[in-house]
Amino acid sequence: MQYLSITKDEWDKTLERLLLSYTIFATLRNESGIEYELVNPSNITRISYNKPKPVTSLKTFFLPVRENVTSAISPGKRRIIMGIPNCDIAGLKLLDEIYLDKDFKDIYYRERRENSVLISSDCFGVQEHCHCLTYDIKPYSTSNSDLAVIHLGDLIILRIITSRGKEFLSQFSLVKPMKDQSLVSEIEKEHKATEALLLSSNKGLPGYSETGKLLRNAGDEIWRKYSAKCVSCGACATICPTCSCFLLIDKPGFEKVKQLDACQYPGFERVAGGEDALFEIHRRFRNRYMCKYVWKPEKFKPVACTGCGRCIEACLGRINKNELFLELALDRS
Amino acid sequence: MTIDRNIYKPFRAKLTDVIEESPLIKTFVLVPEEEFSFNTGQFIELSVDGIGEAPFTPSSSPVVTEKLEVTVMKTGYVTEFMHNLKPGVFMGIRGPYGRGYPVEKFFGKEVLILGGGCGLAPIRSLLYALENVKDKLEKVILCYGSKTPSDCIYKPLFTRLNKIEKFEAYRTVDKAEEGWNESVGVVTTLLNKVKINLKNSVAVVCGPPIMMKFGTIRLLEMGYKDDEIYLSMEKNMSCGLGKCGHCMMGEFFVCKHGPVFTYKELKETPDIWK
Amino acid sequence: MSLNKDDLKKIRFFDNYTEEQLSVIAGLSSIRDFKVKEILFEQYDELSELFVLLEGTLSLGISLATEKRIHLGTIEEGQLFSWSAVFAPYISTAWVMAITPAKVIAIDSKKLNLKIEADCDFGFKTMSKIAQTISHRLSDTRFQLMNQMII
Repeated sequence: MQYLSITKDEWDKTLERLLLSYTIFATLRNESGIEYELVNPSNITRISYNKPKPVTSLKTFFLPVRENVTSAISPGKRRIIMGIPNCDIAGLKLLDEIYLDKDFKDIYYRERRENSVLISSDCFGVQEHCHCLTYDIKPYSTSNSDLAVIHLGDLIILRIITSRGKEFLSQFSLVKPMKDQSLVSEIEKEHKATEALLLSSNKGLPGYSETGKLLRNAGDEIWRKYSAKCVSCGACATICPTCSCFLLIDKPGFEKVKQLDACQYPGFERVAGGEDALFEIHRRFRNRYMCKYVWKPEKFKPVACTGCGRCIEACLGRINKNELFLELALDRS
Repeated sequence: MTIDRNIYKPFRAKLTDVIEESPLIKTFVLVPEEEFSFNTGQFIELSVDGIGEAPFTPSSSPVVTEKLEVTVMKTGYVTEFMHNLKPGVFMGIRGPYGRGYPVEKFFGKEVLILGGGCGLAPIRSLLYALENVKDKLEKVILCYGSKTPSDCIYKPLFTRLNKIEKFEAYRTVDKAEEGWNESVGVVTTLLNKVKINLKNSVAVVCGPPIMMKFGTIRLLEMGYKDDEIYLSMEKNMSCGLGKCGHCMMGEFFVCKHGPVFTYKELKETPDIWK
Repeated sequence: MSLNKDDLKKIRFFDNYTEEQLSVIAGLSSIRDFKVKEILFEQYDELSELFVLLEGTLSLGISLATEKRIHLGTIEEGQLFSWSAVFAPYISTAWVMAITPAKVIAIDSKKLNLKIEADCDFGFKTMSKIAQTISHRLSDTRFQLMNQMII
């Protein structure tokens, strides 16, 4: 992997110059943690590097909650999204496979995808519910994002991942190949430390395909038990980096509005005749996990759960899916 | 750079005629503004401007491309609006979507079609398609059941079918009405009287979930193999593109992998008859 | 009108019987014709024949004190009916009437039962076929009931 570097000061100045031709979103520190914000000259110094993870997932930048999908696409300003954790980068792989399908390409998604430079941020540290490594997703990106950014000392180090990333950096003369190669070992040390934290905080949690096998054989009781406090708010689906079910709403002039939906909402599978296969809450609850761990893997290569843990953080009923999986794993052994 | 079509945008079709099949069922005759063709068994998303969209399998012949017919039962919000439309208005079409009936796989065989209720709409399209290639088929038998004689739509169809060489059509009703002197009972009872060569036959089942369940069980008992039974599954197809998630049935998207499946593909999937 | 084993071979119900077994059945059977509206048997009649419908359509139903003819369904070509003739007390649970001119195979059930008792292979085959017919009838009735329960 090729590493380039630039001083932090010069990087901040570079970002300020980039604001003239790009819309930049980056992860900024706020009272409750970090979150994406629109960058402007006055908040550049608040940009947070290498801390997991923004509250909102990357999905929001590519699949807005509501959008008109029949209006003409007006080419917008190019944009940079910086500070993306690898769990979200991994989630984008699934969204790409769904929305850039060769038979039915979503031209709105594609326009946003082509128009965005993705700069991921290696996670040096974990949050309480992070479990990306359990699903073989590293806490740092080596594919699918264009660049990865690391703030070490007074340097900003950039790992080139795609040719687009390389081309993007080539316009900045002050970004140069990193002289001090010992910094690479520093970075790798941080990676290992984060991985060790992930392993110790997720002991016993079954891996992705193992979870799928456990869920296939799970009986009704466990679904009823864990869905007892579910109120079908749909927060889990809204905040998830890979959930993207939607409704198409008709407007006059044969216009269509695409609006994000959630299988947790009642009536998700209701047909005109009145039948509703997912009428009961525990069935909808089960449907979510069967979809992620059993059915999507049959159709798509990228994983449908990246272990970000946001669903556990967002749940109003404090439902923790990992407790369910651990219970199934224990029962089996 | 290739210009990709906007997958969410319908094209317009003029409603030229509305045929009343029964108090709750109407057939809409549409002339698309763009070149349009479909394989029998595929579906379209038909929209009422500004109101909503719903999936339908065309009931007309796939060989006729200047117009298409869609048979609609009034069951909900969108179909109620549809039933109030008059000829001259424009409707929206997206599609065709999905996997239709693999008619080439039926060549050289006897085709047994088991239909119920509104399932006769896609079956009519299949029958037109099979009539078009009847020289390549051994025999086509339709067994159809409806709740009452009034619910049996396309009334001239049965007389016409029985006049076509190699075609036989039988029908039954759950409950007879005054003047009905044909079979009474569920559609599976008609299977007693069909003469079919099970060693060289395929079966097609299309109708309400209960009918499809009992029909499939009876066909398996008769000796049909699970990859010889073709089922037309109905789910809440919405986008038609394998994206919105509403038509997921186990590992399948009905809009993409179906709506026509063999029983072999579905038999491990739980709750397919719900 | 009598019939021979080759006549029986054309009917799906008689599949898998040996030539000898078919000859035995043919020896116990005759073909009968019924005119439109002719009653084959009434509910509660004592039955002595097992029937297989060859041609035409029959109506099957039950009787109540208030109404003699409640029509439940039709019997189709190829179907076995009047199986109560094989099981004690040999009393019919329904009436059957021809609604089109009909031709049936009528099998002497007393002689058939003697043959069933004497020959295990023949008995097993015959009882299995009758059991399957009843099973189908039950399944169709449940199907019909579910259709009535759901709008």
